[in-house]
Parts: sequence; structure tokens; C-alpha cells
Amino acid sequence: MTAVPGREPTVVVAAGVCTAVAQDVDSFWSALVTGADGISPIERFPVSDLRVGRGGEIKTLTRIDDWTGIPDCRATRLLVSAADDLCGQVGGRPLPVDPRRVAVVVGTALGGVEEGERALSGDRSGKRLRGALYDAPARNLARWLGVRGPVLTVATACAAGGTAIGVGADLLRHGQADAVIAGGYDILCRFVMRGFDVLRALTRDRVRPFDRRRSGLLLGEGAALVMLRRRAEAGPRVLGHVLGYATISDGSHVSAPHPEGRGLEHAIHVALGEAGIGPDRIDFVSAHGTATALNDPIESGVLMRVLGARASAVPVNSIKPVIGHTMGAAATLEAIMCLLASRHGLIPPTLNLDDPDPTFGIDCVRGAPRVARPRISLSTCLGFGGCNGALVLEGAPP
Amino acid sequence: MNAPIVRALGWRSGWGPGLGALPEDARRAAAGRPVVSLGRPALDEERFRRATRDCLWAVAAVGAMLEDAGARREAIAGARTALIYVTAAAYGPSNRAFIERPGAVYFPYTAPAAAPAEVAIEYGLTGPLTIFIGGGVSTLRAIWHAAGLLAGATCDRVLVLAVEIFDECADLYARVRSGEDPLVEAAGCAWLERGTGTLALEEGVATAGRDDVRRRVGETFSCEPLAALGLRRSVVAGAGPIAVSARWGGEEVTLIWGGPTSGVGAGMREGSE
Repeated sequence: MTAVPGREPTVVVAAGVCTAVAQDVDSFWSALVTGADGISPIERFPVSDLRVGRGGEIKTLTRIDDWTGIPDCRATRLLVSAADDLCGQVGGRPLPVDPRRVAVVVGTALGGVEEGERALSGDRSGKRLRGALYDAPARNLARWLGVRGPVLTVATACAAGGTAIGVGADLLRHGQADAVIAGGYDILCRFVMRGFDVLRALTRDRVRPFDRRRSGLLLGEGAALVMLRRRAEAGPRVLGHVLGYATISDGSHVSAPHPEGRGLEHAIHVALGEAGIGPDRIDFVSAHGTATALNDPIESGVLMRVLGARASAVPVNSIKPVIGHTMGAAATLEAIMCLLASRHGLIPPTLNLDDPDPTFGIDCVRGAPRVARPRISLSTCLGFGGCNGALVLEGAPP
Repeated sequence: MNAPIVRALGWRSGWGPGLGALPEDARRAAAGRPVVSLGRPALDEERFRRATRDCLWAVAAVGAMLEDAGARREAIAGARTALIYVTAAAYGPSNRAFIERPGAVYFPYTAPAAAPAEVAIEYGLTGPLTIFIGGGVSTLRAIWHAAGLLAGATCDRVLVLAVEIFDECADLYARVRSGEDPLVEAAGCAWLERGTGTLALEEGVATAGRDDVRRRVGETFSCEPLAALGLRRSVVAGAGPIAVSARWGGEEVTLIWGGPTSGVGAGMREGSE
């Protein structure tokens, strides 16, 4: 295990997911390595007026039979579903920690915005309107978990799921909690589909990160959570460690990353610095990999600079073709994937990457899972507002 | 945790520029108005042609902070300045506009991340960035988080910026609010640097003079703790401990600056606002 002196790594004890391809961690892993495709026509709300009406939509929430007492808010329900998966790995609810010492830190790009849509389109209940606040789903999750520690909502756009893990680790480090449920979520709704439609960022083709034929992203919905503990309190069975993180502003543009990726590069170096390791220790990179015209060349350029001569030898993947870009959930799902790759000794392929763009010079895993057991993983994430995130993770031995 | 010093504090609210403009009694001064609006700041219309009011006031609050510090913008530019943005609901108007009037808002401006982005672009900030959603409790947690960043030498200064905009959603607030305090639009920014005092964050406690601040300022959600810091500037020089409390979403938190050399107010110019 690695970390700068005096900075003990944070332990990832358990994880839970809710995505278009799986609603538990084991099935999520199977879907990633078997090439499952979670992209489908969106059915839950009208999309016929949009250029693109497909995404990583979750058709049915299967984990919870009885939603009594849980708000009729999709974002909350995705979070609760992921939390149910997580709780199953640590003995169920209530969590085995003093509830006053359990914090909830979740990232989101959209919060409860669909509740706002509903409130503005006829549902005049005050409850619906209050649910439109971006911190409402996190509070609902804390209530469902029965925990009474700090509740934080982090909104660094599509980097939020990574920032939340970092902020959660900081809460442990500074003694504000003894356990943290950290992660991210976002749902597909008219609001976000219209928004990305206006931006012409969505593809009518498949999502093809780092491919010569890449033509844009598709959105997805999901929630992902991890349980973080300090090492001394973590117990023997763990998923891995958070060694370092950073979320950096690039001060460049409201919706586009810095043209040379300086913010992302800085974030990676800060996260590596917190981890106390150099780029030569990176065994695997989970890329943001959205398959947009802007993202992929910028991100590959950053990886080339950070990894140097090793750039063509360090495996890189993107799981967004499988589940869509799940926004606030993306970085947490990708962090979980990194830890599972270490556990299983396999790196999931980048679905739909058939014709790698030769200008990128990075080693994208494609076609089939690659047999490799990465110890140190770097996971990158970017979001609107010049948010650039990086997580450095260490998988636990199987 | 070491307590940061507050080198400067910028404050703008519907009552006028600076904390000196605050009335003694916000309810009385509001005279029945449910929202006391900030209007629009005088910023370059072309440069900010797409920006929403929350973004504009975020930029203006940082400008007010620089005025308070007597510093030029170069003093905060670069990678050694961290920015923590806090809001409970400043994204509400842009979200509503995008839902009700397609094309009224450029989509990226519906994100809470837009306001700190405009600040980062305007002042050249390329350091750590965090965005917390919530009321005053989140602002106190932001200050605590800032203290951690400073203690870890991740940066040399942290700007804790809070903005709340209500006017465009006044009818919606009328549906759900029963309190008599007026909603007062506000934007505040505190410039924090490493200090030598001690900082403690107490959960489940919110008693420290909060009602006095609320009485003068009105309801400002995330901005309230920054107003409290500013209002106490005249009593904190060399004194301590200083406590600031907040309640939000069922949480109660008090942040306490203590130790022999409380830093709150150090560098803040008396009466400059």
C-alpha cells in the first residue's frame, strides 16, 4: 500500500451499483467483461422530438419490492437501489457503525431536477418542489440508511462521483465520520436529454471511444456507492484503497475542457502526489472516454504526457459504451470497475472500439477482456464548468 | 484542525453593497416583500452574454472580496487558489427557464458548476475546485474542508463562495415556505488562508447567535454563515473563541474558531464594506 507519510489510504469496504446492465456489483462486472450493451430506446418519457432518443435507461428497478416510505423520486430510488446492494455486502441495514458517525457524500450533475419538471408541469405538491433541490436525494438516502452523520451533495457536474469519494475520504481523515457512504447518481429525464440534444453532443451511432469513427456520447442513468472506512476499522475483507484524488478547475470554458487538457493533467498530478506515487506506478487507466470530438483527443494527449514512454503500454478503457455516460454516477462506477479489475485479474474491453484512432498513441483495451491484474489504477473524469477529476486507486489482492 | 484566517470578505445582497447596508430588522425592512432582489451587477455584457444571474453575482462577490482585501486579481490567479462554491438553490432560476422556455438558457448554465466556472475564467483560477449543494450547513462544511486543504498544503488560499438567487422562482417559494423572513438574494466570498488558531466543527449544535444574523439579513440559505463572519469582524480581533452556526435539512452544525490567536477577521478591514 502506498501513500504519502501521515496520509493513511482510505479503505473501500464494499460497493453497490444500479445501472442499465446490472443492479448488483457481481452482475455489473459480468456485464462489463461479457460485452453487454445497456443502450436502448428511451421509454420512460417522450423523446420523439429529440434528435436522439436512446440511452442507458434502467427499465425496471428490480432490487426493492416495496417502495413504501421511499419518496417517489427516481434519483432517490436509484440511490436506494445501489445502497441496498452495498448494504447486502456489509450485513444489511442498519449499518454496523454508530449512525451518528456515518456520513453520506454523493455527487450529482442534476440532483432532483426531474422533480422540478414535475412540479412545473402540474404536480403542485410542496413535496415535489422541495425534491427539486439538488441535495434532496442525498438526504432521502441518509434517511433510508438510518444514518445521522454529515450529508453532503457534491455537484462538480460529471466529475462529481469522483469528487464525492475524495470528499468522503477527507471526512474520515479529519475525524468527521467513522464510515462514509460515498458515490454518485443521475437519472435520464427530459431536462438532460433536451440539454444534450441542444448541444448536439449525442450520437446516432454507437458510442465509440477512441475510435476513428467516434461521433459523440449517449447518456445513461445510474447510481453507485462505496463504503469508505479508515484502515484500522475496515476489517479483513476489502475491495481496495483510495490513495489520492483531486478535482481541479481549468478556468477555461463553461462547457468545454481546456483545449490541451491542462486541468486534467494537473488533477492527475495532484492525485498522484496525494497518493505518494509517480506516474510510473500506474498499471491501468479508466478513461473518461466519452467518444466526443473534443474529449478523446484531449484526454489521450494528457495520458501521453503523463505516462510518457509507457503510454503505449498502459492499458486504457472506457465503459461508457456499455451503460452510457451516467454523469454524476460515472466516476464512481468507473472507480468500482478499477477495483474489480484488480480483484478478477481482467480489464474489461472498450465496447464498440473497432478501429482505434492511430493518432492517439494509447493502448486501448478492445475486443475481449485483457488478462492483467492492475494494482494501481488511475480513473479520470471531466465535467461542465471546467471540472477535472482524478482518482488513484489500489486494488486489494483477491 | 488549524483555523484559517479570513483575510477578506466580499458581500453583496438585496439590501445593498456590503454588510453595512443590512437593516436592523430584515422583516420590517422588507415591508411584506417575499424576495429582496439583487438585480443584475454591472459586468461586461458582451463577455457575460450567456451567463445567468447566479454566475454574475458569483463573479461580483469575488470582486467585492478583492476590494475588501485591497488586492488585485493577480493575487488570486493560478493553481494555488482553491475555490469552493456553495449554493442551496441558485441554479433554480436557470433550471426553471430551461424547463419552461426552451432556448431561454444555454444548457451548460443550468448546472451549479457554471457559477464557479465563470469565476475561474474571470480570475484565472486553476486550483482545486469543489461544489457543495445545501444551505448554511454546507457553507460551514466548506470552510472546514478549506481548512483541510490549507492544512495539507494543497493550496495557499481558499475562496469560499456562496450565492443565492430567488427572484425568478418567487412564486414557487411562496408555495412551500411558511416562514416570515424575506428571501434575500445574496452573494458572499471569504478569502481564507492558513492560520494558527484551532478550528472545531460540532455536529448537532446550532446556537451561536444565529437568530441575530438571521434577523438582520433575512433568509439567505448558504450565504448566512458568511454574513455572520462579516458581522463579527469588529469583535474578533484578538478575541476568541468565535462560533458560527447553521441549520439545514435537519442538520445543525457549529464551527468554532478558537485558540490563543483567533484568526477570524485578521486582515479584514474594519468598516470597509
